[in-house]
Amino acid sequence: MSALDDLLRARTGAMTSELVQHPGDFGLGQVPLRLAPVGTARSICGFCSTGCSLNIHLNAAGEAINLTPNPDYPVNLGMACPKGWEALTPLAASDRVTTPLLRDRDGVLKPISWSKAMEVFCERMKGVQSKHGKSAVAVLSTGQIVTEEMALLGALAKFGMGIADLDSNTRQCMATSHVAYKQSLGFDAPPFTYADFEESDVLVFVGANPCIAHPIMWQRVMRNQRNPAIIVVDPRRTETAMAATLHLPAYPKSDLTLLYGIARELLARGAIDQDFIEKNTTGFAAFAEFVGAFPPERVLAETGLSVADYQKTIDLIARPGVRVSYWWTMGVNQSHQATRTAQALINLALMTGQIGKPGTGANSITGQCNAMGSRLFGNATSLLGGYDFAKPGHRSHVADILGIDEKLIPTQASRAYDRILDAVYTGEIRALWIIATNTAHSWINQGHFTRLRDKLDFLVVQDMYATTETAQQADLVLPAAAWGEKDGFFINSERRLGLARKVARAPGQALSDFAIFKLIAEAWGCGKLFEEWSSPAATFQILKKLSAGQPCDFSGIRDHTHLEDAGGIQWPFTPADADVITNDELAKSEKEQTAPSPAPANSSFEIRHSNSTQERRLFSDGKFFTPDGLARFYFDAPVPLPELPDEKYPLLLNTGRGSSSQWHTGSRTNKSAVLRKLSPNQPWIELNPADASRLGIEAGQLVVVRSRRGETAALSVVTPVVQPGQTFMPMHYAEVNVLTFPAYDPHSRQPAYKACAVTVLPLAEAHER
Amino acid sequence: MVAPKKNSTLALIDELLAEQSRLQTPVARFAATHSNTRASTLTSQLIPLSLPKPGEQYAFEVDLDACTGCKACVSACHALNGLDDDEAWRDVGVVTGGTQSRPYQQTVTTACHHCADPGCLNGCPVLAYEKDPITGIVRHLDDQCIGCQYCVLKCPYDVPKYNERLGIVRKCDMCQQRLAVGEAPACVQACPTQAISIVTVITNQDGVLASDTSSFLSTAPDPGYTRPVTRYLTERPEPDNLLAADNAILRPQPAHWPLAIMLTLMPLAVGTEIAAVVLNAAHYPEPAVRKLVLLAWAAGAAGLLASVAHLGKPMRAWRIFLGWRKSWLSREAMVFSAWFGLATLALKFSVALPLAVALGAIGLFCSVMIYADTHRRLWRFSQTGPRFFGSALLPAAAAVFAFGFETKICLIVLGGATALKLACDARLLRPLDLADADDPLTPELHSARLLNGPLRPLFGLRIAAAVVTAFLLPIPIVTGQLPPWTAWFVFASALLGELLERHLFFRSVDAPKMPGVAA
Repeated sequence: MSALDDLLRARTGAMTSELVQHPGDFGLGQVPLRLAPVGTARSICGFCSTGCSLNIHLNAAGEAINLTPNPDYPVNLGMACPKGWEALTPLAASDRVTTPLLRDRDGVLKPISWSKAMEVFCERMKGVQSKHGKSAVAVLSTGQIVTEEMALLGALAKFGMGIADLDSNTRQCMATSHVAYKQSLGFDAPPFTYADFEESDVLVFVGANPCIAHPIMWQRVMRNQRNPAIIVVDPRRTETAMAATLHLPAYPKSDLTLLYGIARELLARGAIDQDFIEKNTTGFAAFAEFVGAFPPERVLAETGLSVADYQKTIDLIARPGVRVSYWWTMGVNQSHQATRTAQALINLALMTGQIGKPGTGANSITGQCNAMGSRLFGNATSLLGGYDFAKPGHRSHVADILGIDEKLIPTQASRAYDRILDAVYTGEIRALWIIATNTAHSWINQGHFTRLRDKLDFLVVQDMYATTETAQQADLVLPAAAWGEKDGFFINSERRLGLARKVARAPGQALSDFAIFKLIAEAWGCGKLFEEWSSPAATFQILKKLSAGQPCDFSGIRDHTHLEDAGGIQWPFTPADADVITNDELAKSEKEQTAPSPAPANSSFEIRHSNSTQERRLFSDGKFFTPDGLARFYFDAPVPLPELPDEKYPLLLNTGRGSSSQWHTGSRTNKSAVLRKLSPNQPWIELNPADASRLGIEAGQLVVVRSRRGETAALSVVTPVVQPGQTFMPMHYAEVNVLTFPAYDPHSRQPAYKACAVTVLPLAEAHER
Repeated sequence: MVAPKKNSTLALIDELLAEQSRLQTPVARFAATHSNTRASTLTSQLIPLSLPKPGEQYAFEVDLDACTGCKACVSACHALNGLDDDEAWRDVGVVTGGTQSRPYQQTVTTACHHCADPGCLNGCPVLAYEKDPITGIVRHLDDQCIGCQYCVLKCPYDVPKYNERLGIVRKCDMCQQRLAVGEAPACVQACPTQAISIVTVITNQDGVLASDTSSFLSTAPDPGYTRPVTRYLTERPEPDNLLAADNAILRPQPAHWPLAIMLTLMPLAVGTEIAAVVLNAAHYPEPAVRKLVLLAWAAGAAGLLASVAHLGKPMRAWRIFLGWRKSWLSREAMVFSAWFGLATLALKFSVALPLAVALGAIGLFCSVMIYADTHRRLWRFSQTGPRFFGSALLPAAAAVFAFGFETKICLIVLGGATALKLACDARLLRPLDLADADDPLTPELHSARLLNGPLRPLFGLRIAAAVVTAFLLPIPIVTGQLPPWTAWFVFASALLGELLERHLFFRSVDAPKMPGVAA
């Protein structure tokens, strides 16, 4: 009978075997048998700034075959977002560029050798420089490569090639936080640690949607055992707004008014920390007077919020003894008054003394995996290591460490991204070298960049794909190895240095960005300058020296291996900190025999509990990084939106992250079939039902979205998640930046992607007009 | 600055390329230390400590208030199960609603619901599904599957997915291999907010289905049909006007051409045999009637071939009788196989013909039931019955007409059958008149919008073919304005019309599913 049953019911066989699982070993649990690893390697994810650690499963040849999130890492605790799970897939994409490509006479990109590529690169770049001056060449870099590469690029471009202007795509995401922190706190120093998500009583998220933009940070919020109040300021009812205790759907870019209003009410209620203000800040009196101009009537009128919600917000924040933390991201950073808005949040934390303690802080959630590395070591607006180009002392200090002639260091910072493009427009800059960013997709008012192409004598794009919108416009494409094909460290949102590992071979002749920079240095004739930068590991030692004595001092970290073994290390980490931690670990291991050692006075961080080596925050002593150690209050009167809706363009367009499975311009995430499945494959626009019915638009219909800059088609999504008069489009589709209005924050020069005036028409109607 | 030596650049290129291709092997890597933390995540409190008791089974439980749409569960399912590039057994959708002052959106993670009365299992002709007697997990036997995809049609939640590479269907098995060793399923262990867990639920009391479907998602297809056991929990008040975010999106369904061809030819075969029986009874000359029998046989052979072409794994199809107790597909296959034997006999021995006709009619009935049993609105018995049996009358009448027998009767049958079928079609469009533009998409309205939207050109062609078949061609032929051989065009246009109708039958059906995303 059983033989007959076996014949009739095939319970085993080749297809069943495909899915058979096997204990993974290495602490991995069950894995598919055909993907059983021979070993694992740990690597920090190369998408966003959360900085999750991934266990890469390796075969006998050391090649990555699968991955699982690392459970032992203090950041992600065994979790990852879909992009992290799919981090290896983009490496195997069929459109990886495998040789250098040069545009021939017919305008076609044709493969060439590396030696030819170097010849062309140097000849054309030097040609432009000799004809138009050294500053006629500029570099647009990225927050997506490892810090060692960023530093080498910055040094090569500025000290080796005499390039004056180098800016990176972190201008599009984090420049505001950089400037805000630097002005207010004396250094670009996000004060928090992710444990603060868990230790807060009131979490205020402004212009942030961590549920889908930073899901692993949201995991920490959900682990909060203090029954926290979660306040979300966002014009849309986002996933995070849904999960909030209180959603404040303030009118777009009225957040500055709202925050000043809250400051006024806190002051009026006496819910401020007078002692902290006096001891640790300066200039509060002027701020207190300034916010007097923001009575509730004005705030409610300008934000469109209800009295009840506004009162409830202040009640929640003003409760005595609660720990309040403020968190922001692109909703704040990408605004025409971005820096002052970020600083309004910093001001709230300062005036209430909500900084430097568990569960507090004015905390900027970063965007790209290494935006923080770029801010410190990109050599763009700050000299390597957070120094100042304009200060002779700083220049000589850096020159000493690098063993180079001080005269090679420019005496002023680079121009910002938008100013570099302006200089291309005026013909001042004639050649661009773009690395690991997709300007032709992501730059605000994209049409402008496309028109600039004709003004360039030479455009070099260095990327892992030749298919990006930008690479398609290049004269020369340099094939880069990707994340996972090289070693180096990233710095995450909470200042944690973490190591990314080489676990896959780059396709064809693609080289790591580090190797490409070394090669260019050699071909350019300045290879001697970078002899000490022999490898990412050697470069790490140089960067340690550059950091020493700075707030971001991590000279206490031995090497890459130390970083890996420690589960990442947050800066600062001075040799003194290293001693404390060694003592702390010793104390832990001998805990029964010896009394716990008290934290030495020279430690720059707080020893919180036994986990102290892994989660640390800044400013526990109330001392800031300004020369006098006092934090500053920065403020300015709110400014109206640069492009207000009017009769012809009656709707306000907001842009942002569309789903957790898409990363920025999609050059990598679009390569994963699973990630593609998890997001719409065409641009879409959210419309309020009231607007949709007024415009005669049905859900799921193709519409035309038109601004003064251009127009594009999109699928209509009719939802009350957006308010009447407002619309939303995800930024991952190239079409969106055809529409955006080129406004910039005056202090950070960050583009204001989140507000422009548009009109939306049914497709058929649009064709008639 | 010293000019670069070309040789040094060349040497460096070689060195860097060599370095780029070097990988540390696991053996050479610094031995990674592994704590037991992973194990504790894997065997979390999110799975039951003991096996279900009799009358109970395992179920997914989703805490909607914790699900925020990160979709890590989907990627983890894909990665930890080693699935194909675009394959994942979990999906995440959105439901929206609420008012202007209280807008509402909720992400919904969804996988197989391991139903108490699984549609997939009940429909499978080869018993490629098993419901585990202890855990209640609905498991698919990949090496048993013939790739007929009937389970795809039977499941109201769009769970089984056809895999082109393998030619079979695959689906979620609740990571039973993990559960067997006390490890949580991939999606459960990957959720950053612990929104998914495995719980034990009651499904049977005293041998009677007693699963509680009150915790099922309100926006999902009716749980009364298959009794899904997944529990969706929320403490947030849900607005009354909740809709799946993809409610308004028109989703034309796969064409299944081999099936459309089969379902055009089999009715033709049976209908032609009926005609032959009638003509025999009317004492038409044997050789003339034999032509009809031959046509029926040829149509049947081609139809059955087409049905085999539909299968992903035809070599396994010999097991198709196994599911006869529950599966209409299994029954249809057996009946039509037997019919084909009789139809072949009937080529020689006309006594076999009436028996073949009877079997063929039963086969057609099974065909109707295959679709009626999916609980899809468009395919309900009252729509599918007249269509399939109409398809037996209409082209058969056209064939008889083309052979030149009983032209008047044929004309009446052609006109009558066509009127019947067009009435069926007109009924489909009715919801368009009743609904407002922003009404939620009901299954009927969905089919109507598909026919009036993306499928409109083919729908128009189908109606035109019907009019040509029934009126435009026959009348001039009967009145002598066209030569008699042009009657074969009537037959051709009848076949074309039926084929188009069958195509639209598949394309315009509303396939129920769990909520998806808006665009």
